[in-house]
Order: sequence, then C-alpha cells, then structure tokens
Amino acid sequence: MSKTWRVALYEYKRNVFKRSFLFALLSIPLMIGFSVTLGLVMESLGKNTAPIGYVDQAGLFDDPVLPEVSPSDAVQFVAYNTEDDALAALEAGTLQAYYVVPADYFETSHIELKYLEEPWENATRQFYDFVQINLLSGQPLQVVRLATGETTISIRSADGSRFLPGGEVGLGMVLSPIIGFVFAFLLVMSSGYIMQAVADEKENRTMEVLVTSVSPAQLIGGKILGVVAVSLTQLLVWTTFAVLAIVIAGRGGLEPLMDLEVPWGPVLATLAIAVPTYVAATGLMAAIGATVTSVQEGQSVGGIFFVLHILPIYVVQMIVETPNAALPVALTFTPFTGLLTMSARQVFTTLPLWQIALAVGAQVVYAAGAVALASRAFRLGLLRYGQRLNLREFLGRRAS
Amino acid sequence: MHTVEVSHVAKAFGQTKAVVDVSFELGQGEIFGLLGPNGAGKTTTIRMILDLFKPDSGTVSVLGGPMTEEKKNRIGYMPEERGLYQDVPLERCLLYMASLKGLSASEAGSRLAVLLERFDLADHKSKKVKALSKGMQQKAQIINTIVHRPELVIIDEPFAALDPINTQLVKQVMHELRDDGATILMSTHQMHQVEELSDRILLIDEGRDLLYGELDEIRRRYSGHAVLVRAVGRLPDVPGVKSAAPHNDAVKLALAEDMTPQEVLQSLVAQGVQVERFEIAVPTLDEIFIRVVSAQDRSRGAAVGDGA
Repeated sequence: MSKTWRVALYEYKRNVFKRSFLFALLSIPLMIGFSVTLGLVMESLGKNTAPIGYVDQAGLFDDPVLPEVSPSDAVQFVAYNTEDDALAALEAGTLQAYYVVPADYFETSHIELKYLEEPWENATRQFYDFVQINLLSGQPLQVVRLATGETTISIRSADGSRFLPGGEVGLGMVLSPIIGFVFAFLLVMSSGYIMQAVADEKENRTMEVLVTSVSPAQLIGGKILGVVAVSLTQLLVWTTFAVLAIVIAGRGGLEPLMDLEVPWGPVLATLAIAVPTYVAATGLMAAIGATVTSVQEGQSVGGIFFVLHILPIYVVQMIVETPNAALPVALTFTPFTGLLTMSARQVFTTLPLWQIALAVGAQVVYAAGAVALASRAFRLGLLRYGQRLNLREFLGRRAS
Repeated sequence: MHTVEVSHVAKAFGQTKAVVDVSFELGQGEIFGLLGPNGAGKTTTIRMILDLFKPDSGTVSVLGGPMTEEKKNRIGYMPEERGLYQDVPLERCLLYMASLKGLSASEAGSRLAVLLERFDLADHKSKKVKALSKGMQQKAQIINTIVHRPELVIIDEPFAALDPINTQLVKQVMHELRDDGATILMSTHQMHQVEELSDRILLIDEGRDLLYGELDEIRRRYSGHAVLVRAVGRLPDVPGVKSAAPHNDAVKLALAEDMTPQEVLQSLVAQGVQVERFEIAVPTLDEIFIRVVSAQDRSRGAAVGDGA
C-alpha cells in the first residue's frame, strides 16, 4: 500500500470512529425518519372516511352521480331533507360534516359547510368533485371527465432536453440544488476539519515527524483522500436513508413523494461539479492550515472562503428570474461559486452542454491548483512555528 | 563512505542568518554529538540534513547522496518536543507512524510489542498519548524513532524528562543501535551524556563551526599543561610549576613549558609527599563549551566595539 493510501486510511478511520462523526452521520437520517414518520402519522390521523351529509335545497342532486374515488378513500354522501336532521346526525357522530346547498345556489354559487371538527381534506375534495359532476349531468361522460379532472399541461423545451411534467417544478427538479447544498454543507464541515487538523499538527509538531516519513504531496494527498472518503460515506448513508424514506413515504401516501422522477441529467451534472469543488475546497483549507500560526487564525481565514462558496444564495432572485443573465453564467464558471450556481440554475433553465463542461473543467483545474498550492504551503509553512507565511515568501522561487 | 556529509551549508530566514557556515561528516556506526547554545543553528542544520529545509548554499549528502523519498524509511528522527498525535491511543499512533516508515502491520505490531515492553510502556499502550507523563512520552518518541531499525538516527535531546533509570536504558539502546551499524546524530545540552556516548562532536555557535573532531583530541587541546594533585597535608613548592590553584578536592598545578607531569610526580615523591591522587588535568566538555562560547562572545563584543 502506498504511503498516500496509508495516510488516507488513517485519516478515514480516525474520523469515522469519532463520536461527533457518528452523531452527525446519524442525525440527518434520524431527522428524515422522524419527518417521514410524522408525515405518515399525521396523514393516517387526519384520514376520516365517515359519511358527509348534504341538504340539497336547490335540487342539484336530484339524480346524484358519484365521482370515481379509490375504494379505500371513498366517502359516502348522505342526503338529508332538513338541516336539523343533518345537524342531529353530525352531533350523533354519524357524519364528519354536512353541506347545505341553498335554494338560490344557481344564482349565488354559494354552498355552506358545517362541522364540529374540521373534516378530512380529501373528503371535502370528493364533495367538490360530486358538485362538479352533478352540475354537468346530462353532458357526455367524456366531457364530464375532462371538466372534472385536472387538465395537465406539461412544459417541454424546444430542444427536448427539458421536461416539466404538469408544468410545475416538482421535487425531482429540485434534487439538483438539494445535492448542491448537501455538498456545500459537507464541504464546509469537512474542509474546516482538515484545516484544523493541519494547523493542529503543525502546532503540536507532529507534522515535523510525518514529513520525515512521507513527502508533503503524499501527506496532503492522503489527507484529502481520507476526508473525501469520510464525506462520501456520509453522503452514501444519507442518500440510502433518503431513498428509503422516499419509497416508504411514497407508498404511505405522502403526495409530493408518490411519483418522484429523478432528472438524471441535472443530478449527474451537479455530482460532476461537486466532487472537484469538494477536493478544491479541502486542498485550499489544508493550505490555509499549513500557513497560519494557530487553529483560531485558520478558522478566521477559512471563514472568508466559506462565504465565497455560499455567495450564490445572495443572488438567488436573479438566478430564479434570469438564470441565463451574465452574472449567474459567470458565477457558474467561478471557482467558489460554481457548485451552487449551476445546481440552482438547472431548476429554471436548461444549461447548454458547453456550460456544464466548462464549469466542471474549471473546477477540476481549480482543484488541481488547490492541491498543488496546499503541497507548496506544506513545504513552506509547516515548520514555521508561530510565524505566518507571507505572500512574498509563498510566491518565491524556491520551496525551501 | 560517510553516512552524512554536510559541506559549508548556510540558511537564512529573511534577515535572520540561522546557519552561516557549517561543515561536518558522520561515519557509519558512530555516535556524534551536535552541540551549541540555544539559537546556535543546531535544529536548522538537522532540518537541512532531513531535507525539511533546502540550504541556501552548500551541500548535504545523506546515506550516499542527496536526500530522496526512499531514504526516509532508513532514517529515524526525533524532534526535541512532542511529535506524536496527542489525542490518539499510544499503540495506534505508533503503528501508524511505523506504517509510514514502510513496515507492514504485523511487523510493526511485533516490533512494537517488544519495544513497549522494554520501555515499560506495554501497560499504557491503550492510553491516549496526552495522558502519558512527559517521561513516558519521551520514551514513546524514542520507540517511534527506532522501531523501523534505521541506519541513521537523528535525535534531539534524547534524555529530556527521563529519570536516571530510563536515561541508562536509552544509553544502552543507543549503544546497541551503534553496535548494529547505525549512525547516531545526537543534539543535546547535556554535556556529560555526550562525553559518555559520543566519539566525536561538533560545537556550533551563531551558525558557524567552533569545534569539530575527536572528543579526546579536543579535550587534550583544551587541557592546557596542568596536573591535578591531592595529597596528605600541604603541597610543597615544586620547581617548574607556574601556579597552584584549588580545584574541587585537589590542587591544579600549571606546569612550565619544559616540565613534564612525570617530573612533577617524581619531585613530590622525592620530597616525601604522600600523594593520594595524581592525574593530567583534562577539562570537562562543559568547561570547554563555556570557554569556547565565552571566547566567541568576547571576540564578537570586541568586533562590535571596534566597529563602533
């Protein structure tokens, strides 16, 4: 095993078995699990298939036609001659609610709903469909279906590369920025860790012993690999839990998750830019760790770079309204801002392939530069105990 | 072939000249003492040997040529303070460090088991390094330096924080390493340890060589021409003795150029003096160190005075 891998393996084990890591690793799945369970519980608690009563004074339901509903959710509609009868049934607990269709309904289009406790939302929707269908009684069945069903308008871009089923931005479409934000979160967490670890090793002289065994490039390379592996482990666990939660919640009837379609193009593009961005940030933080005099100073300097990474949040309105304007496009190719800008723009526009390629390429170059920079900073700064490395020394000819 | 050859190296950090001109060689299987007051340039010189710093001028040859990554596995280095992960259990930390020196996990494990036992640290191997006493940490550092059986050992203040028993143990280990062919470069302020262990020394101050060579030869060079005598009663006047001065429990007699120690002893015996102790006065390394460094300080002061 090469020394780079040994360093990587050590860094990986050292982090993965930390209590704080295990806590962070499990906190997100627990949160997802809690949210899904809560959603399912709320859904089942709110479900009420008790009959709905109605008092038809307008003659709307003289010859009632029932809407098509799934048998498990179907609510029975019971006619009452007077409101007193309906109220008595409500108070007896036979009904969850009742409607009064007044005699002047056809003039006012006004119907009253009465209940003791708020009825099931699905039941009121069924009654709305019941009204619609009966208003159209006498029309051909096809017309009734079109009028009562939702007419779906999907949006497809002219080049066919972008498709929004139902014409809305669904959960699937925001997967790309969600992944972008998760990576940005991991990036802030773990690159901060590597900066702290390097500054700490420099401060306590461990670095001096390490570089008599491995080269600075092997050391920094191993550390970055180890930390990237830690974050990928985190991502894998989180993704597994998220997929499980989506499947369970979808089967459990949570609507936004029932027909989730993954837009693989934007998701893969986001992953392609996220990995080099992550490596670059980690390298940069390692470089900062090697050049500062203390962990505290490193955190202050590192904070500036974290702000640069989340800069796109401040121009989110422009990204939403004009995703192809000059600034969002420029931020897509900029080292720190590329990840979040590109992942967010993909929700509102179709990015040309050249823009994706250029953005990913720019991040790869940036990552290579950051790793080289970190290696040089190690060489120059690791033995400068209590001394800050100045820019002139850093840019000097010799790494001595 | 020398294990280490340092030739006229110089190193500056900005305006600060850490090393001005230092040259020395280390032969295989010797224990070499690198001495000097604080800030003399010892650590910078060591770091140039280890290729942690590139010299501004001069050359360094280690194990037959310039330093390479491959040679790192043949070198053991112990800095003056710390150098181990503080938040990690001792054995895990040492296993990792040994793996970076090219040892397999099983090899490192078996060697460490022996060394931990020998240094009386086996019962503490599961403790975090920061939970160990200073002396224990020092022993752990020594284990870390030698576990891969290096050909060149560079060790800074090996006896710091060690009690007499552990000091003896470390000396024994150093002798064993030397007997096995390892070359040891030891930097320390503890002169009596250098006198006991080293064959040759280099004394540097302000980044320059002041003294370099065989320890015995240096002692002779600084011995002056004197003898130490302890006798029953007061010493009589002896022809050819320039001066007499008390020296610990004896008297130090400075001899005239043409007088030999044998003639002094014969003269004392002839005068009926009951001699209890008679020896050539050889200065300790401490005395030589103070004399040389003080002379250097004086000459520097004079130069500054002249300049002013």
